[in-house]
Amino acid sequence: MAEISFPLPDLGEGLIEATVLEWLVAPGDQVERNQPLVEVETTKSAVELPSPQAGKVVRIHGGPGDKINVGEPLIVFEVPDNTAGIVGTVPKEEAPKRRVRLSAVLDED
Amino acid sequence: MSNSILEGALIVESPAATTVMSMQQALNRALDEVLAENPKTLIFGEDCGRLGGVFRITDGLQAKHGEQRVFDTPLAESGILGMSVGLAMAGFHPIPEVQFDGFAYPAINQIVCQIARMNYRSRGTLPMPITLRVPSFGGIRAPEHHGESLEALFAHVPGLKVVSPSNPHEAYHLLKYAATRPDPVIFMEPKSRYWQKGEVDLARHDAAGGSPTGAKVMREGRHLTLVAWGAMVARCLQVAELAAEDGIDIEVLDLRWLKPIDAAALAASVRKTRRAVVVHEAPLTSGLGAEVAQLITQSCFDTLRAPVERVTGFDVPYPSGDLEDEYIPNIDRILFGIQRVLEYKRG
Amino acid sequence: MDTLPVASGDAAEPLTPAQLRELYSLMVAVRHLDTSAIAWQRQGIIPGYAPELGQEAAQVGSGYAVDTTRDFVFPTYREMGVARTMGVDMVAYMSTHKATWHGGLYDPLESRLAPIQAVVAGSVLHAVGWAHGQTLDGTDGVALTYFGDGASSQGDIHEALNFAAVLKAPVVFFVQNNGWAISVPTERQVAGGSVAARAAGYGMPALQIDGDDVVAVVEATRRAFAHARAGNGPVLIEAMTYRRGPHSTSDDPGRYRSLDEERDGAGTDPLERFRQRLLADGIADEAFFAGALAAAKAEEDQIRTGIQALGSRPGTEMFDLVFQETTPALQAQAANWREESEHV
Repeated sequence: MAEISFPLPDLGEGLIEATVLEWLVAPGDQVERNQPLVEVETTKSAVELPSPQAGKVVRIHGGPGDKINVGEPLIVFEVPDNTAGIVGTVPKEEAPKRRVRLSAVLDED
Repeated sequence: MSNSILEGALIVESPAATTVMSMQQALNRALDEVLAENPKTLIFGEDCGRLGGVFRITDGLQAKHGEQRVFDTPLAESGILGMSVGLAMAGFHPIPEVQFDGFAYPAINQIVCQIARMNYRSRGTLPMPITLRVPSFGGIRAPEHHGESLEALFAHVPGLKVVSPSNPHEAYHLLKYAATRPDPVIFMEPKSRYWQKGEVDLARHDAAGGSPTGAKVMREGRHLTLVAWGAMVARCLQVAELAAEDGIDIEVLDLRWLKPIDAAALAASVRKTRRAVVVHEAPLTSGLGAEVAQLITQSCFDTLRAPVERVTGFDVPYPSGDLEDEYIPNIDRILFGIQRVLEYKRG
Repeated sequence: MDTLPVASGDAAEPLTPAQLRELYSLMVAVRHLDTSAIAWQRQGIIPGYAPELGQEAAQVGSGYAVDTTRDFVFPTYREMGVARTMGVDMVAYMSTHKATWHGGLYDPLESRLAPIQAVVAGSVLHAVGWAHGQTLDGTDGVALTYFGDGASSQGDIHEALNFAAVLKAPVVFFVQNNGWAISVPTERQVAGGSVAARAAGYGMPALQIDGDDVVAVVEATRRAFAHARAGNGPVLIEAMTYRRGPHSTSDDPGRYRSLDEERDGAGTDPLERFRQRLLADGIADEAFFAGALAAAKAEEDQIRTGIQALGSRPGTEMFDLVFQETTPALQAQAANWREESEHV
């Protein structure tokens, strides 16, 4: 598992900060790409930020009323290591199972 | 290519300095180095560029080496391979990717009728240094045409060489080697093994410093030789451990090169063990197991204690995920095959 | 773009309010099943899925024009909305995504839907062959075949278009240009920018339509069917739409496109667009929409239950279904499999 931090983006026209209004996800949540993460208010408007990716939320930064600067961490996701193809599943490594036993009389000539 | 018994019989010793990585990482690293070392190499195929390939084998290579050398193509396998021919004529070393084994079928015309023959047709003036990477074989519960084993088809075509790595170390060295050959090489990557990690000695391929040609003994044994390649090597190594519990000492030979086949390594191993079972995922009939069995019979007829057994996929179209484990040789089917050989009585 | 002569008769009749509501209900059912299938994958019910989010209007609208008593449809692996619109058993259809059987478990002959096709551009020539068979038999069935902007790069597409035009085969080539072939955008895929424009080279009429407008899709497809059914030869429709989701449940579009690009490219949600239109025209109200969603949820519930209950196919089918007339060698392999592997 790897962690990916998502910094607060510039929400338009050179804004430098935003205020957290309400978090819509919590640490431990599994989120999908585009799922609303947080409602923030800038000097211009209140906006919902969609998730840039799928993953499990590890940490969120700032509670309601807190100001966050553009470029500072907003949320951290846990994503699987790079172990996916575009289709199919990654086979699990399992201890070998057997039901067949071998029997032989081996001459060692 | 050398087929010396010495090379075929080498055992990997525990190397001094190794790095643990997955096969995906090993292949990615090999391609990165090949691009750096040879400015004429090009990597292209469907989703190879920005996405880094559907299995991430080319991840980061476009950003590092540029869009001229690592690029996405339109969705057309025949086009990808046909273009490779022209690029090779123009002095490049293309390393195209066919996204999945089954997607090679639309490109068969270019592979068989052009890539494999151009050197011959041109009397050696137009060599085809093309390294075709094909994520191959089954085991990942994927849709149709994403789990096929085409080695016999490729190996049957004069003018092609075929190789398949079984672990990250082999993947790194075999790809680096294949991508420096002046002839077309089909590089079959076992996609079910992409994510398993293993030790890779980047500095040298084997203890003797030889080149990664021929077959390789992955486990020494006295009583029977299991011959396999790709993902089946790991399974055969498991089987060998289980057989040891029953007092049967099994040698596992990773064939690696499916064309040319290292006949000398087969001979050396089976002369010692006198028994052989060949294991592959591909269907039985006219599979590469038949070729292996013939080569063993040819060299070891006098010492063989039993006919060479084949444990393979069946003569059926590769099934959907639910039946995949029924199709791919499992541990018990391999053990049954071994038992048949062990209890064979001449008469 | 529209080079198809104006049709007459049935094809030109406007959709009735009841039909418009039916289209909406179908789109909601498809949307809900599609998004649920992604959840199924996350819940471990199915190993993978290829979503069609955003293509509901293109799929429902085109499938709606099919006459299942005489036409035949050739899908790719992303035509769930077409299958649902045609009334295919959806447990049998979705079984392909459960890795039960590659082509799905539905009966292609009965449902008039060819088996699910994993090969890109794989079935387009089949449609031409089937359609030519109708000509030879003197029947008036039309083949409807689907492919995408990515598949348009395959050589088989050229062969299919040329054959169909030469043979004047009754085929409707329905291109869903959804903007993306996995990670490659249309502008890096389709030289000239339009698949429909290529039809001119084959002397084939073509329409490029707003694939997110379900009414436009139904009307265009009906016109194309009427043209082909009347013996005038093939038609190509390029429905411009957008793959709003990933290529598959294992894909991560964040590696090749930004959310801003997605928003700009996707435009207005086709389902929401149609809903606004029905409201504005007074054809449906909130109670209707709520009912349609409730029905979609109930339907998804049933399909999920069916999929969860679906066991693996017996391994003997691997052997039994290879040939109509099996071979001794294959029977021997089956016997060997039963002995060594059955019920492992």
